[in-house]
Amino acid sequence: MNGLMNISPITSSIIITLLPLLAFIIQALLGKRTQSGFISLIAIVISTILSAFFVFTKIWMNTPQMVDYNWFTIGHHTFTAGILLNNLTALMQLLVCIIALAVHVYSKSYMKGDPGIHRYWMYLSLFCFAMLGLCISKNLLIMYIFWELVGFASYLLIGFWFTKDSAVQANKKAFIVNRIGDLGFLLGLATLYSLYGSLDLTELFALDGLFYNLPNQPTGLLTFSGICFFIGAMAKSAQFPLHVWLPDAMEGPTAVSSLIHAATMVAAGVFLLSSIFPLFNASVLLIITIIGTMTALSAACFALSQRDIKKILAFSTISQLGFMVVAIGIGAWDAGMFHLITHAFFKCLLFLGAGAVIHEMSHLKEINQLDFDPQDINNMGNLRKWMPKTFILMAVASLALAGFPLTSGFLSKDAILIATLEWGIQHGSFYLLVPITLIIVSILTSFYISRLMFKVFFGEFKLTVKKFKLQEASAIMLWPMLFLGIGCLFLLFSWNPLSYQSASIFKGLIVSYQFSEIHALHMLLPVGLTIGSLIAGSVAWNWYIRNKYPLNPQGNKWIEFTFNQGYINEFYSVIFVNGTILFSKGLFWFDRTIIDGLVRFVGEVTKGLASLSSWFDRIIVDGLINKVGSTTYYIGHLLRWAQNGRLQNYLGFAFTLVLIGIIYLILQ
Amino acid sequence: MITLTHFLIVSACLFCIGLYAVLAKRNAILILIGIEFMINAAILNLVAFGRYDKLVYGGQIFALFAIVLAAAAVAVGLAIILNVYQHYKSINPDDITDLRD
Repeated sequence: MNGLMNISPITSSIIITLLPLLAFIIQALLGKRTQSGFISLIAIVISTILSAFFVFTKIWMNTPQMVDYNWFTIGHHTFTAGILLNNLTALMQLLVCIIALAVHVYSKSYMKGDPGIHRYWMYLSLFCFAMLGLCISKNLLIMYIFWELVGFASYLLIGFWFTKDSAVQANKKAFIVNRIGDLGFLLGLATLYSLYGSLDLTELFALDGLFYNLPNQPTGLLTFSGICFFIGAMAKSAQFPLHVWLPDAMEGPTAVSSLIHAATMVAAGVFLLSSIFPLFNASVLLIITIIGTMTALSAACFALSQRDIKKILAFSTISQLGFMVVAIGIGAWDAGMFHLITHAFFKCLLFLGAGAVIHEMSHLKEINQLDFDPQDINNMGNLRKWMPKTFILMAVASLALAGFPLTSGFLSKDAILIATLEWGIQHGSFYLLVPITLIIVSILTSFYISRLMFKVFFGEFKLTVKKFKLQEASAIMLWPMLFLGIGCLFLLFSWNPLSYQSASIFKGLIVSYQFSEIHALHMLLPVGLTIGSLIAGSVAWNWYIRNKYPLNPQGNKWIEFTFNQGYINEFYSVIFVNGTILFSKGLFWFDRTIIDGLVRFVGEVTKGLASLSSWFDRIIVDGLINKVGSTTYYIGHLLRWAQNGRLQNYLGFAFTLVLIGIIYLILQ
Repeated sequence: MITLTHFLIVSACLFCIGLYAVLAKRNAILILIGIEFMINAAILNLVAFGRYDKLVYGGQIFALFAIVLAAAAVAVGLAIILNVYQHYKSINPDDITDLRD
């Protein structure tokens, strides 16, 4: 027993990562024979236990541990594949495990009876493997490999219902947009390697690392590599303008959206930025801040008018990712990570709740054989009457998203907003636009989440159906939701519900801010935000519950604009997709006409030469030989008839010869 | 008066008739007869020239030998023809062209 308790954190973290891979391999080998998903479930349960008790408790607030294995050598450079366990990576791995565990349990019930369920468990395990590996990679190249694997697993899961055309389009889109980001990541890696000759996180960014010992590196290249890494993170974390794939990714099963596209994978970009934070100089950080702000604002606006419950949550995710990216941009990446973790809990819960609602709605659709969109919030209403537990849990998560006191979202959002405001005040002038935008976004957040909650759970049920049957989600779905719901409260993160600074996570991630603290803000901003959110919520109540909707839903340009996601998809389809198609058509023409023409011309010339040579060969060379042959044959033929086998002829010849001989002798 | 030349002319005529029969006849037995003609032409020559050998009559003696030999040859020839006939069901020499190339 003692030996068992003494597994080193490194070994356990390797086991944690490899268990889902093992589950994936077993599922892949067994194929359709394993439908229950117990293999994946057991793997993730063990991983979670190991991660919580053997890695997190030993690493958190202790000295980081790391191990290196030589991987391969090119010339004099040896690449190492290493594992890095510090506060950040251990925390991230634990978070991924916990959320994945909740989603696995939830999927047991949610995906029950799906014909492709064996593939579902397989892909889910693959994803967990990739994500857990990404968290603890010490070498950026290994991280890149896991990064790609994560993207690939996400591609498989978005297209899980591959018979649906929209799902296929969505997973293609997600994959292509992520490729753009991956290219950025790769370019960043190459630049970093060319500058420092190493991709090892510790070698580069430790306090005595290369990054600080070789200070005279060209700023341009550093900026370039920073921007490249950020582009990688932009695609993965769905930052404007590469966010387009995330709303479409909602075509996947809801449990998948919850795990991958809300809590873990999309956070990988933020995690990457936190890991390589020292790399970014002031100009890159400013770009990061601006992009994050734009993302937060645009996604919040788009979320306002969506009708699909999952799309609202998707845009909300993008918007919250924008918050995290801003936090990194201003240098407060600990606040960003804090928000990442709290967001993972409440957004995962929101998605799981939405999944339960969609589950019931599609069930209703099935038994009535009606044709309506089970994800459209305009079809729902008053669901709290039939699904009270789901309602309460989703309400807690919504309050956390809106940043109400006593929830985790309150702490993390205030951490970001206060830091941003302090940063804005420090720099003054235009920099103040960032905190102001974020405050507006956070009020918009409470508005759109109130809209969602009111439309779904309050008011009247909008559909009239013959057979009415709505019921609470099953216990297997509710337990993980309850667990996540507890995670949405402040207790998990801090004993003081009103001050984020006492959150334990800030003690683990030590970041020195580049701006001075303003104490008054810590008091004023949360109060102001809460009041603002309350006002937004009451406006939503007035509009959607008391039917005092002031806008004309038809023909309002702004609603159209936000509903169509700012026409960004259309813009991309016109500029990039059509551009690419036109370009390929041009290339096709070039290929057909010029390249093929050239080849064909050469071919024709060769053919002409060949036929000339063939004529010469046939007529002159062969003709000569044939003529000699046929002449010989003819001569032979001439003589051949004498040899005809008739005795009398032979005798005649013999006699003629004798006669000729005699005549010759006589004439002589 | 009958001279040596007359004998020789008769003998040449016999030889020519025999030769014609051998070269032109379509029946193996007639060819054999043609051969017999030519042998007899030669024997006639032997007998005719035999008058210049009054001592031992070598020509006459040789003619007798030749007649015996011719008879033997005819016997062998007939036997061959019989065998040929059994084999080919024909004694037309034009049908038997196995020596052809």
